[in-house]
Amino acid sequence: MIRLVHAEFVKLRTTQVWFWLLLAALAISAIVVVASLAPANNVTDPSDVADMFTASNNASIVVFVLGVLGVTTEFRYQTITPTVLVTPSRWTLITAKLISYTLLGAIYALACLVIQLAMALPWLSAKGIDFSLDAQLRHVIGAVFIVVALYGVIGLGVGALLRNQIVAVTVGVIFLLALENLILLIPKVRNAWAYTPGGASNAILYTHGQNDFNGVHLLSSGAGVIVLLVWALIPALIGAGITMNRDIT
Amino acid sequence: MTVAAPQPNLDGQIIASELTKVFRGRIRAVDRLSFTVEPGSVTGFLGPNGAGKTTTLRMVLGLVHPTGGTATIGGLQYKNIPHPITRVGAALESSSFHPARTGRNHLRILCIAAGLPLQRADAVLDMVGLGAAGKRKVRGYSLGMRQRLGLASALLGDPRVLVLDEPANGLDPDGIRWLRGFFRHLAGEGRTVLVSSHQLNEVQEVADRVVILNHGQLVSAGTISELTAGSESVRVRTPNPAPLGEAIAAGGGFAQHEDPQTLQVRGMTLDQVGHLAFTAGVELHELSTQQFDLEDLFFQLTGTAQPPGPTMQPSQGGKQ
Repeated sequence: MIRLVHAEFVKLRTTQVWFWLLLAALAISAIVVVASLAPANNVTDPSDVADMFTASNNASIVVFVLGVLGVTTEFRYQTITPTVLVTPSRWTLITAKLISYTLLGAIYALACLVIQLAMALPWLSAKGIDFSLDAQLRHVIGAVFIVVALYGVIGLGVGALLRNQIVAVTVGVIFLLALENLILLIPKVRNAWAYTPGGASNAILYTHGQNDFNGVHLLSSGAGVIVLLVWALIPALIGAGITMNRDIT
Repeated sequence: MTVAAPQPNLDGQIIASELTKVFRGRIRAVDRLSFTVEPGSVTGFLGPNGAGKTTTLRMVLGLVHPTGGTATIGGLQYKNIPHPITRVGAALESSSFHPARTGRNHLRILCIAAGLPLQRADAVLDMVGLGAAGKRKVRGYSLGMRQRLGLASALLGDPRVLVLDEPANGLDPDGIRWLRGFFRHLAGEGRTVLVSSHQLNEVQEVADRVVILNHGQLVSAGTISELTAGSESVRVRTPNPAPLGEAIAAGGGFAQHEDPQTLQVRGMTLDQVGHLAFTAGVELHELSTQQFDLEDLFFQLTGTAQPPGPTMQPSQGGKQ
């Protein structure tokens, strides 16, 4: 299993997508720090500081895309053939992918948090804002790891279900960035937003009584984890079932 | 190499038994196909495009699930072979590479997943003559180079059994000559090679045995000499064919007009035909043995118009 996870990471490393997507995620994280701490904004409250770090959650969309690509690229370029010839047990392959992209999500989350901390710590001390790794910040950091890692698994599942690389990436990104938020605009069903991946992510990330997002009552953090886990595992399990019996032609 | 001590039962007999594949409930790509590939031989797997060769090979390798029947290599289904790429190497299509990845990295990923030392990647690149090109992205490879990279991945685990699907596609004449030499080399090392082709001349020189397939069904299987037995003929040209034809028929041969002055004689040797002509007093302008033409046999056996007839049963060779 370690060999297969290693192979998955080398697959990523030997193409260039990972680099540009990581760069994009780091850039967004950095921009949020700049925007939050720029002189025009008066970040003074430690809770505002913690919120700033939730921006590392932007890596989730990037890791989602990598997850989609992790499955669809194998089929698009037929590298699935040598992959399965080396490892005929498809359960083993699927498990290796799940472990790899969960790890990948954690690594991207870590990279975004590190760049944010590296920029924010000196800046905050220069502004004289007292800042410590309090419970709230620890919660945010833990939440970022969980959310980003689960989006990698959602990506794998969506990729396995839709198979077509361009369709899967486009549909997935449009859904996560736009469509799920349209629910907020529909009066009768807007409370259902709490159960979307975005709603669940917000529930996991925010702590300090911010259980209200644009008037929608958010779930508790724990319930958010469960809802996001369901979003991650259902497509992944259905996709795995399909991939188990799929003819590789 | 980390290959375990060779086990005789894994040395490579490939047995397909009643293999059947029906796609989407109606397309019978492979229909109750049975054949055996003997260890240590080069077997040509022949048939026109669309005969079901690729589907069969993919069933042998566990990539396509058979609708019915089984396929085993050394007595095991592919999925049950421990460390399969050290037992069986396969090159299936010329395009199963990520274009943005180098050939060397493609092979290294397979090494990592299979637990092989990374140096194997460079070793097999050298074996197929891609040493220098290995560090280039596959995007820039010609079709021939991709075929070589496919062969390199097949050789990665130093397997005793090789399954190659149309490896000559896209190769220039030099490449095909190289490939033939390569097969001879592999067979000389005692490896089992199953190589599919829709062009007989690609494998004719190197194959010990052939399995011929059409419309998903077995048309013929055996050694080339078995297949060609009884199909040699004598060509005789004379201005006076009628009395010679009668003499041949009386002598137990079978003569057929190739043109008004030329007869194709089967069931008789060159000497017998010459003697009959002499005793019948027939003037001869030509008397020669027809070289056996596997290509002709191939077209006879796989004639696209008619499905394989009852006289072309397995193991009966290419009798007409």
